[in-house]
Amino acid sequence: MISLLEATASGAAEVHAYELTLDRPGHEPRLLVLNAKRLVYDDISQTRILLAVADVTEARANDKIKDNLLHDKDDLIREKAILLQEVQHRIANSLQIIASILMQSARKVRSDETSGHLKNAHGRLMSIAAVQTQLSKSSMGKVELQPYFTQLCKSLGASMINNPDLLSIEVHADKTSTESEVSMSLGLIVTELVINALKHAFPGNRKGKILVTYKSDGRDWTLAVTDDGVGMPTIAADAKPGLGTNIVESLAKRLEAEVQVASANPGTAIRIVHSQAAVNPIGRAA
Amino acid sequence: MLTRSVVLVVEDHPLIRLSALDLVSSGGFEGIGAQNADEAIAILEARPDIHLVFTDVEMPGTMDGIKLAHYIRGRWPNVRLIVASGKLIVEESQLPHGAKFFSKPYGDQSIIEEMTRMLAIVDADSPIGQIPSSQ
Repeated sequence: MISLLEATASGAAEVHAYELTLDRPGHEPRLLVLNAKRLVYDDISQTRILLAVADVTEARANDKIKDNLLHDKDDLIREKAILLQEVQHRIANSLQIIASILMQSARKVRSDETSGHLKNAHGRLMSIAAVQTQLSKSSMGKVELQPYFTQLCKSLGASMINNPDLLSIEVHADKTSTESEVSMSLGLIVTELVINALKHAFPGNRKGKILVTYKSDGRDWTLAVTDDGVGMPTIAADAKPGLGTNIVESLAKRLEAEVQVASANPGTAIRIVHSQAAVNPIGRAA
Repeated sequence: MLTRSVVLVVEDHPLIRLSALDLVSSGGFEGIGAQNADEAIAILEARPDIHLVFTDVEMPGTMDGIKLAHYIRGRWPNVRLIVASGKLIVEESQLPHGAKFFSKPYGDQSIIEEMTRMLAIVDADSPIGQIPSSQ
Protein backbone atom coordinates (compact mmCIF):
# COMPACT_ATOMS: atom_id res chain seq x y z
CA MET A 1 0.00 0.00 0.00
CA ILE A 2 2.80 2.36 0.97
CA SER A 3 4.63 1.64 -2.25
CA LEU A 4 1.43 2.31 -4.23
CA LEU A 5 1.00 5.68 -2.53
CA GLU A 6 4.63 6.49 -3.19
CA ALA A 7 4.18 5.65 -6.85
CA THR A 8 1.10 7.88 -6.89
CA ALA A 9 2.98 10.71 -5.22
CA SER A 10 5.74 10.50 -7.80
CA GLY A 11 3.11 10.63 -10.54
CA ALA A 12 4.03 7.18 -11.87
CA ALA A 13 0.70 5.59 -11.02
CA GLU A 14 -2.80 6.14 -9.64
CA VAL A 15 -4.71 3.98 -7.23
CA HIS A 16 -8.01 2.72 -8.58
CA ALA A 17 -10.39 0.79 -6.36
CA TYR A 18 -7.66 -0.81 -4.32
CA GLU A 19 -9.20 -3.12 -1.74
CA LEU A 20 -7.79 -3.84 1.66
CA THR A 21 -9.01 -5.35 4.87
CA LEU A 22 -8.54 -3.28 7.96
CA ASP A 23 -7.83 -5.47 10.95
CA ARG A 24 -7.88 -3.84 14.35
CA PRO A 25 -7.72 -5.76 17.61
CA GLY A 26 -11.13 -5.86 19.25
CA HIS A 27 -12.95 -4.86 16.05
CA GLU A 28 -14.51 -6.77 13.22
CA PRO A 29 -12.39 -6.54 10.07
CA ARG A 30 -13.56 -3.77 7.72
CA LEU A 31 -13.34 -3.94 3.96
CA LEU A 32 -12.02 -0.67 2.52
CA VAL A 33 -11.77 0.55 -1.05
CA LEU A 34 -9.08 3.13 -1.77
CA ASN A 35 -8.70 5.57 -4.61
CA ALA A 36 -5.71 7.91 -4.78
CA LYS A 37 -4.68 10.55 -7.26
CA ARG A 38 -1.86 13.04 -7.29
CA LEU A 39 -3.05 16.65 -7.43
CA VAL A 40 -0.96 18.88 -9.64
CA TYR A 41 -0.98 22.61 -8.88
CA ASP A 42 1.32 25.41 -10.05
CA ASP A 43 3.14 25.07 -6.77
CA ILE A 44 5.21 22.01 -7.71
CA SER A 45 7.43 22.10 -4.65
CA GLN A 46 4.57 20.55 -2.66
CA THR A 47 3.21 17.09 -3.37
CA ARG A 48 -0.50 16.61 -2.73
CA ILE A 49 -2.42 13.39 -2.95
CA LEU A 50 -6.19 13.10 -2.90
CA LEU A 51 -7.00 9.89 -1.07
CA ALA A 52 -10.56 8.56 -0.89
CA VAL A 53 -11.38 5.70 1.45
CA ALA A 54 -14.75 4.00 1.30
CA ASP A 55 -15.90 1.40 3.82
CA VAL A 56 -17.78 -1.21 1.76
CA THR A 57 -18.13 -3.91 4.42
CA GLU A 58 -21.95 -3.76 4.60
CA ALA A 59 -22.44 -3.20 0.86
CA ARG A 60 -20.36 -6.26 0.07
CA ALA A 61 -22.17 -8.37 2.63
CA ASN A 62 -25.50 -7.37 1.07
CA ASP A 63 -24.24 -8.21 -2.40
CA LYS A 64 -23.20 -11.61 -1.17
CA ILE A 65 -26.63 -12.28 0.32
CA LYS A 66 -28.22 -11.18 -2.93
CA ASP A 67 -25.93 -13.47 -4.94
CA ASN A 68 -26.72 -16.38 -2.66
CA LEU A 69 -30.44 -15.72 -2.94
CA LEU A 70 -30.22 -15.58 -6.72
CA HIS A 71 -28.24 -18.78 -6.67
CA ASP A 72 -30.80 -20.47 -4.41
CA LYS A 73 -33.56 -19.26 -6.70
CA ASP A 74 -31.82 -20.79 -9.73
CA ASP A 75 -31.43 -24.04 -7.85
CA LEU A 76 -35.11 -24.04 -6.93
CA ILE A 77 -36.17 -23.34 -10.50
CA ARG A 78 -33.96 -26.15 -11.76
CA GLU A 79 -35.27 -28.48 -9.09
CA LYS A 80 -38.85 -27.57 -9.98
CA ALA A 81 -38.21 -28.28 -13.67
CA ILE A 82 -36.77 -31.70 -12.84
CA LEU A 83 -39.69 -32.52 -10.54
CA LEU A 84 -42.17 -31.42 -13.16
CA GLN A 85 -40.50 -33.64 -15.75
CA GLU A 86 -40.58 -36.55 -13.33
CA VAL A 87 -44.29 -35.99 -12.69
CA GLN A 88 -45.04 -35.76 -16.41
CA HIS A 89 -43.07 -38.94 -16.96
CA ARG A 90 -45.06 -40.76 -14.30
CA ILE A 91 -48.37 -39.51 -15.67
CA ALA A 92 -47.35 -40.67 -19.15
CA ASN A 93 -46.44 -44.09 -17.80
CA SER A 94 -49.69 -44.43 -15.88
CA LEU A 95 -51.69 -43.40 -18.93
CA GLN A 96 -49.69 -45.91 -20.96
CA ILE A 97 -50.66 -48.72 -18.59
CA ILE A 98 -54.36 -47.85 -18.85
CA ALA A 99 -54.18 -47.33 -22.63
CA SER A 100 -52.38 -50.65 -23.11
CA ILE A 101 -54.89 -52.58 -21.03
CA LEU A 102 -57.89 -50.97 -22.75
CA MET A 103 -56.54 -51.86 -26.18
CA GLN A 104 -55.56 -55.34 -25.08
CA SER A 105 -59.12 -55.88 -23.81
CA ALA A 106 -60.52 -54.47 -27.06
CA ARG A 107 -58.49 -57.06 -28.99
CA LYS A 108 -59.56 -59.89 -26.69
CA VAL A 109 -63.34 -59.43 -26.53
CA ARG A 110 -65.43 -61.14 -29.19
CA SER A 111 -68.33 -58.68 -29.39
CA ASP A 112 -67.87 -55.82 -31.83
CA GLU A 113 -69.98 -53.55 -29.66
CA THR A 114 -67.88 -54.13 -26.55
CA SER A 115 -64.70 -53.77 -28.53
CA GLY A 116 -66.06 -50.48 -29.92
CA HIS A 117 -66.77 -49.17 -26.41
CA LEU A 118 -63.27 -50.09 -25.26
CA LYS A 119 -61.77 -48.34 -28.27
CA ASN A 120 -63.87 -45.25 -27.52
CA ALA A 121 -62.61 -45.29 -23.94
CA HIS A 122 -59.07 -45.54 -25.32
CA GLY A 123 -59.78 -42.57 -27.59
CA ARG A 124 -60.99 -40.47 -24.64
CA LEU A 125 -57.91 -41.39 -22.66
CA MET A 126 -55.60 -40.48 -25.53
CA SER A 127 -57.39 -37.14 -25.83
CA ILE A 128 -56.51 -36.34 -22.22
CA ALA A 129 -52.97 -37.62 -22.77
CA ALA A 130 -52.60 -35.27 -25.73
CA VAL A 131 -53.28 -32.30 -23.41
CA GLN A 132 -50.43 -33.48 -21.21
CA THR A 133 -48.09 -33.70 -24.19
CA GLN A 134 -48.99 -30.21 -25.39
CA LEU A 135 -48.81 -28.79 -21.86
CA SER A 136 -45.33 -30.11 -21.29
CA LYS A 137 -44.25 -28.46 -24.53
CA SER A 138 -45.58 -25.08 -23.45
CA SER A 139 -44.13 -23.03 -20.64
CA MET A 140 -47.12 -20.92 -19.65
CA GLY A 141 -49.54 -23.70 -18.71
CA LYS A 142 -51.50 -22.93 -21.86
CA VAL A 143 -52.24 -25.24 -24.73
CA GLU A 144 -52.22 -24.11 -28.33
CA LEU A 145 -55.33 -25.58 -29.94
CA GLN A 146 -54.13 -26.23 -33.51
CA PRO A 147 -51.30 -28.66 -32.63
CA TYR A 148 -53.36 -30.17 -29.80
CA PHE A 149 -56.42 -30.93 -31.97
CA THR A 150 -54.10 -32.16 -34.73
CA GLN A 151 -52.38 -34.63 -32.40
CA LEU A 152 -55.76 -35.67 -31.02
CA CYS A 153 -57.33 -36.32 -34.42
CA LYS A 154 -54.24 -38.15 -35.63
CA SER A 155 -54.45 -40.57 -32.72
CA LEU A 156 -58.24 -40.96 -33.09
CA GLY A 157 -57.80 -41.60 -36.81
CA ALA A 158 -55.03 -44.12 -36.21
CA SER A 159 -57.15 -46.23 -33.87
CA MET A 160 -60.59 -45.78 -35.46
CA ILE A 161 -60.19 -45.32 -39.22
CA ASN A 162 -59.81 -48.67 -40.92
CA ASN A 163 -59.20 -47.30 -44.37
CA PRO A 164 -57.35 -43.96 -44.42
CA ASP A 165 -57.94 -43.72 -48.18
CA LEU A 166 -61.66 -43.33 -47.55
CA LEU A 167 -61.83 -41.15 -44.46
CA SER A 168 -59.75 -38.21 -43.31
CA ILE A 169 -59.85 -35.67 -40.47
CA GLU A 170 -58.71 -32.09 -40.94
CA VAL A 171 -58.11 -29.45 -38.28
CA HIS A 172 -58.33 -25.69 -38.82
CA ALA A 173 -57.94 -23.74 -35.60
CA ASP A 174 -56.88 -20.13 -35.25
CA LYS A 175 -53.89 -19.12 -33.11
CA THR A 176 -55.81 -19.51 -29.84
CA SER A 177 -54.16 -20.98 -26.76
CA THR A 178 -56.35 -21.87 -23.79
CA GLU A 179 -55.83 -22.85 -20.15
CA SER A 180 -55.26 -26.58 -19.68
CA GLU A 181 -58.68 -27.14 -18.09
CA VAL A 182 -60.49 -25.45 -20.98
CA SER A 183 -58.30 -27.28 -23.51
CA MET A 184 -59.12 -30.60 -21.96
CA SER A 185 -62.86 -29.89 -22.18
CA LEU A 186 -62.57 -28.73 -25.79
CA GLY A 187 -60.43 -31.78 -26.62
CA LEU A 188 -62.94 -34.18 -25.07
CA ILE A 189 -65.76 -32.53 -27.04
CA VAL A 190 -63.75 -32.90 -30.27
CA THR A 191 -63.05 -36.54 -29.35
CA GLU A 192 -66.74 -37.35 -28.80
CA LEU A 193 -67.91 -35.57 -31.95
CA VAL A 194 -65.21 -37.16 -34.11
CA ILE A 195 -65.91 -40.63 -32.66
CA ASN A 196 -69.61 -40.04 -33.32
CA ALA A 197 -69.05 -38.93 -36.92
CA LEU A 198 -66.73 -41.88 -37.60
CA LYS A 199 -69.33 -44.25 -36.17
CA HIS A 200 -72.46 -42.94 -37.87
CA ALA A 201 -71.75 -40.60 -40.77
CA PHE A 202 -70.00 -42.99 -43.13
CA PRO A 203 -71.80 -46.34 -43.33
CA GLY A 204 -70.51 -48.98 -45.65
CA ASN A 205 -67.49 -47.78 -47.52
CA ARG A 206 -68.63 -44.20 -47.89
CA LYS A 207 -65.80 -41.80 -48.61
CA GLY A 208 -65.66 -38.60 -46.59
CA LYS A 209 -64.00 -35.96 -44.54
CA ILE A 210 -64.39 -34.67 -41.00
CA LEU A 211 -63.47 -31.06 -40.42
CA VAL A 212 -62.65 -29.70 -36.97
CA THR A 213 -62.58 -25.90 -36.77
CA TYR A 214 -62.06 -23.39 -33.98
CA LYS A 215 -62.50 -19.65 -34.41
CA SER A 216 -62.43 -16.95 -31.78
CA ASP A 217 -63.41 -13.32 -31.84
CA GLY A 218 -62.57 -11.47 -28.67
CA ARG A 219 -64.07 -13.61 -25.92
CA ASP A 220 -66.53 -15.34 -28.26
CA TRP A 221 -65.57 -18.61 -29.84
CA THR A 222 -67.00 -21.39 -31.96
CA LEU A 223 -65.81 -24.96 -32.10
CA ALA A 224 -67.29 -26.98 -34.94
CA VAL A 225 -67.06 -30.55 -36.11
CA THR A 226 -68.51 -30.97 -39.60
CA ASP A 227 -68.74 -34.09 -41.70
CA ASP A 228 -69.88 -34.72 -45.25
CA GLY A 229 -71.48 -38.05 -44.41
CA VAL A 230 -75.06 -39.29 -44.57
CA GLY A 231 -76.51 -36.74 -42.15
CA MET A 232 -78.50 -37.18 -38.94
CA PRO A 233 -81.46 -39.55 -38.94
CA THR A 234 -84.76 -37.61 -38.59
CA ILE A 235 -86.21 -40.01 -36.02
CA ALA A 236 -83.57 -39.14 -33.44
CA ALA A 237 -85.89 -36.79 -31.51
CA ASP A 238 -87.08 -39.35 -28.96
CA ALA A 239 -83.95 -41.50 -29.07
CA LYS A 240 -82.12 -41.79 -25.76
CA PRO A 241 -78.94 -39.72 -25.85
CA GLY A 242 -75.76 -41.79 -25.62
CA LEU A 243 -72.77 -41.28 -23.38
CA GLY A 244 -71.05 -39.22 -26.06
CA THR A 245 -73.96 -36.77 -26.27
CA ASN A 246 -74.05 -36.43 -22.50
CA ILE A 247 -70.34 -35.74 -22.36
CA VAL A 248 -70.61 -33.06 -25.05
CA GLU A 249 -73.66 -31.42 -23.41
CA SER A 250 -72.14 -31.26 -19.95
CA LEU A 251 -68.73 -30.05 -21.10
CA ALA A 252 -70.35 -27.38 -23.29
CA LYS A 253 -72.39 -26.24 -20.28
CA ARG A 254 -69.23 -26.03 -18.21
CA LEU A 255 -67.67 -23.85 -20.91
CA GLU A 256 -70.85 -21.72 -20.95
CA ALA A 257 -71.43 -22.66 -24.55
CA GLU A 258 -74.41 -23.81 -26.56
CA VAL A 259 -74.56 -26.94 -28.71
CA GLN A 260 -76.06 -26.29 -32.16
CA VAL A 261 -76.78 -29.15 -34.51
CA ALA A 262 -77.39 -28.40 -38.18
CA SER A 263 -77.56 -30.18 -41.45
CA ALA A 264 -74.48 -29.48 -43.55
CA ASN A 265 -75.82 -30.75 -46.91
CA PRO A 266 -74.38 -33.24 -47.16
CA GLY A 267 -73.59 -34.37 -43.65
CA THR A 268 -73.88 -32.81 -40.24
CA ALA A 269 -72.38 -29.76 -38.57
CA ILE A 270 -72.23 -29.58 -34.81
CA ARG A 271 -71.20 -26.23 -33.38
CA ILE A 272 -70.29 -25.42 -29.80
CA VAL A 273 -70.83 -21.68 -29.52
CA HIS A 274 -69.71 -19.48 -26.67
CA SER A 275 -71.00 -15.95 -26.88
CA GLN A 276 -70.16 -13.45 -24.17
CA ALA A 277 -73.41 -11.61 -24.88
CA ALA A 278 -75.41 -14.75 -24.11
CA VAL A 279 -73.49 -15.41 -20.89
CA ASN A 280 -73.75 -11.81 -19.64
CA PRO A 281 -76.82 -10.18 -21.16
CA ILE A 282 -76.71 -6.38 -20.78
CA GLY A 283 -79.77 -6.31 -18.53
CA ARG A 284 -78.09 -8.59 -16.03
CA ALA A 285 -74.74 -6.86 -15.96
CA ALA A 286 -73.76 -4.75 -12.92
CA MET B 1 -45.04 -71.52 -44.19
CA LEU B 2 -43.45 -68.11 -43.78
CA THR B 3 -41.69 -67.57 -40.47
CA ARG B 4 -43.02 -64.64 -38.46
CA SER B 5 -40.71 -61.73 -37.73
CA VAL B 6 -39.48 -61.72 -34.16
CA VAL B 7 -39.80 -58.59 -32.03
CA LEU B 8 -38.05 -58.11 -28.69
CA VAL B 9 -40.00 -55.92 -26.26
CA VAL B 10 -37.84 -54.30 -23.56
CA GLU B 11 -39.98 -52.74 -20.82
CA ASP B 12 -39.61 -52.87 -17.06
CA HIS B 13 -43.29 -52.43 -16.23
CA PRO B 14 -44.91 -55.88 -16.35
CA LEU B 15 -48.37 -54.66 -17.44
CA ILE B 16 -47.03 -52.47 -20.24
CA ARG B 17 -44.72 -55.32 -21.33
CA LEU B 18 -47.60 -57.80 -21.33
CA SER B 19 -49.80 -55.49 -23.41
CA ALA B 20 -46.95 -54.66 -25.77
CA LEU B 21 -46.32 -58.38 -26.34
CA ASP B 22 -50.03 -58.85 -27.03
CA LEU B 23 -49.90 -55.91 -29.42
CA VAL B 24 -46.91 -57.42 -31.22
CA SER B 25 -48.66 -60.75 -31.70
CA SER B 26 -51.86 -59.00 -32.83
CA GLY B 27 -49.72 -57.41 -35.53
CA GLY B 28 -48.74 -60.87 -36.74
CA PHE B 29 -45.26 -60.96 -35.22
CA GLU B 30 -43.69 -63.16 -32.58
CA GLY B 31 -42.92 -61.27 -29.37
CA ILE B 32 -40.28 -61.91 -26.74
CA GLY B 33 -40.12 -59.86 -23.53
CA ALA B 34 -37.15 -58.53 -21.58
CA GLN B 35 -37.37 -56.36 -18.46
CA ASN B 36 -34.09 -54.50 -18.82
CA ALA B 37 -31.18 -53.87 -21.16
CA ASP B 38 -28.98 -56.68 -19.79
CA GLU B 39 -31.72 -59.24 -20.28
CA ALA B 40 -32.34 -57.85 -23.77
CA ILE B 41 -28.67 -58.23 -24.75
CA ALA B 42 -28.57 -61.81 -23.42
CA ILE B 43 -31.64 -62.64 -25.53
CA LEU B 44 -30.18 -60.96 -28.63
CA GLU B 45 -27.02 -63.05 -28.19
CA ALA B 46 -29.06 -66.26 -28.00
CA ARG B 47 -31.60 -65.41 -30.72
CA PRO B 48 -30.08 -64.27 -34.02
CA ASP B 49 -33.60 -64.23 -35.55
CA ILE B 50 -34.71 -61.05 -33.75
CA HIS B 51 -35.51 -58.39 -36.36
CA LEU B 52 -36.78 -55.52 -34.26
CA VAL B 53 -36.34 -54.21 -30.73
CA PHE B 54 -39.12 -52.10 -29.19
CA THR B 55 -37.70 -50.53 -26.03
CA ASP B 56 -38.70 -48.24 -23.20
CA VAL B 57 -36.19 -45.56 -22.16
CA GLU B 58 -36.31 -45.38 -18.37
CA MET B 59 -35.34 -48.76 -16.97
CA PRO B 60 -33.31 -49.94 -14.00
CA GLY B 61 -30.00 -51.57 -14.82
CA THR B 62 -26.75 -50.68 -16.53
CA MET B 63 -28.26 -49.04 -19.62
CA ASP B 64 -31.34 -47.01 -20.42
CA GLY B 65 -33.22 -47.54 -23.68
CA ILE B 66 -31.25 -44.88 -25.56
CA LYS B 67 -27.90 -46.45 -24.63
CA LEU B 68 -29.33 -49.87 -25.42
CA ALA B 69 -30.43 -48.67 -28.86
CA HIS B 70 -26.92 -47.44 -29.66
CA TYR B 71 -25.37 -50.64 -28.31
CA ILE B 72 -27.66 -52.79 -30.47
CA ARG B 73 -26.95 -50.70 -33.56
CA GLY B 74 -23.21 -51.22 -32.95
CA ARG B 75 -23.41 -54.98 -32.43
CA TRP B 76 -26.40 -55.99 -34.55
CA PRO B 77 -26.67 -53.31 -37.24
CA ASN B 78 -29.60 -54.96 -39.05
CA VAL B 79 -31.94 -54.93 -36.07
CA ARG B 80 -34.67 -52.28 -36.41
CA LEU B 81 -35.26 -50.02 -33.43
CA ILE B 82 -38.35 -48.37 -31.92
CA VAL B 83 -37.97 -46.36 -28.72
CA ALA B 84 -40.82 -45.16 -26.48
CA SER B 85 -40.71 -42.90 -23.44
CA GLY B 86 -42.90 -40.85 -21.17
CA LYS B 87 -40.27 -38.12 -21.27
CA LEU B 88 -40.67 -35.73 -24.12
CA ILE B 89 -37.09 -34.55 -24.20
CA VAL B 90 -36.04 -37.51 -26.29
CA GLU B 91 -35.35 -36.43 -29.86
CA GLU B 92 -34.78 -38.81 -32.71
CA SER B 93 -31.38 -37.15 -33.16
CA GLN B 94 -30.35 -38.77 -29.85
CA LEU B 95 -31.12 -42.17 -31.31
CA PRO B 96 -29.25 -44.26 -33.88
CA HIS B 97 -30.06 -43.33 -37.47
CA GLY B 98 -33.34 -44.86 -38.65
CA ALA B 99 -34.64 -45.54 -35.13
CA LYS B 100 -38.15 -44.24 -34.44
CA PHE B 101 -39.31 -42.47 -31.27
CA PHE B 102 -42.84 -42.56 -29.81
CA SER B 103 -43.94 -40.64 -26.75
CA LYS B 104 -46.01 -42.46 -24.16
CA PRO B 105 -48.85 -43.12 -24.12
CA TYR B 106 -48.36 -44.39 -27.66
CA GLY B 107 -51.26 -45.43 -29.88
CA ASP B 108 -51.19 -49.17 -30.53
CA GLN B 109 -52.05 -48.66 -34.18
CA SER B 110 -49.11 -46.31 -34.80
CA ILE B 111 -46.68 -48.81 -33.25
CA ILE B 112 -47.99 -51.68 -35.38
CA GLU B 113 -47.85 -49.53 -38.52
CA GLU B 114 -44.24 -48.59 -37.80
CA MET B 115 -43.27 -52.21 -37.05
CA THR B 116 -44.93 -53.39 -40.24
CA ARG B 117 -43.16 -50.69 -42.25
CA MET B 118 -39.76 -51.48 -40.72
CA LEU B 119 -40.18 -55.24 -41.03
CA ALA B 120 -41.54 -55.19 -44.57
CA ILE B 121 -38.02 -54.69 -45.85
CA VAL B 122 -36.22 -57.09 -43.51
CA ASP B 123 -36.28 -59.79 -46.18
CA ALA B 124 -34.53 -57.47 -48.60
CA ASP B 125 -31.85 -57.12 -45.88
CA SER B 126 -31.41 -53.50 -46.82
CA PRO B 127 -29.00 -51.45 -44.74
CA ILE B 128 -30.71 -49.52 -41.92
CA GLY B 129 -29.92 -46.13 -43.39
CA GLN B 130 -32.10 -46.86 -46.39
CA ILE B 131 -35.36 -47.44 -44.54
CA PRO B 132 -37.87 -45.34 -46.45
CA SER B 133 -39.35 -42.50 -44.41
CA SER B 134 -42.95 -42.85 -43.32
CA GLN B 135 -43.64 -39.24 -44.28
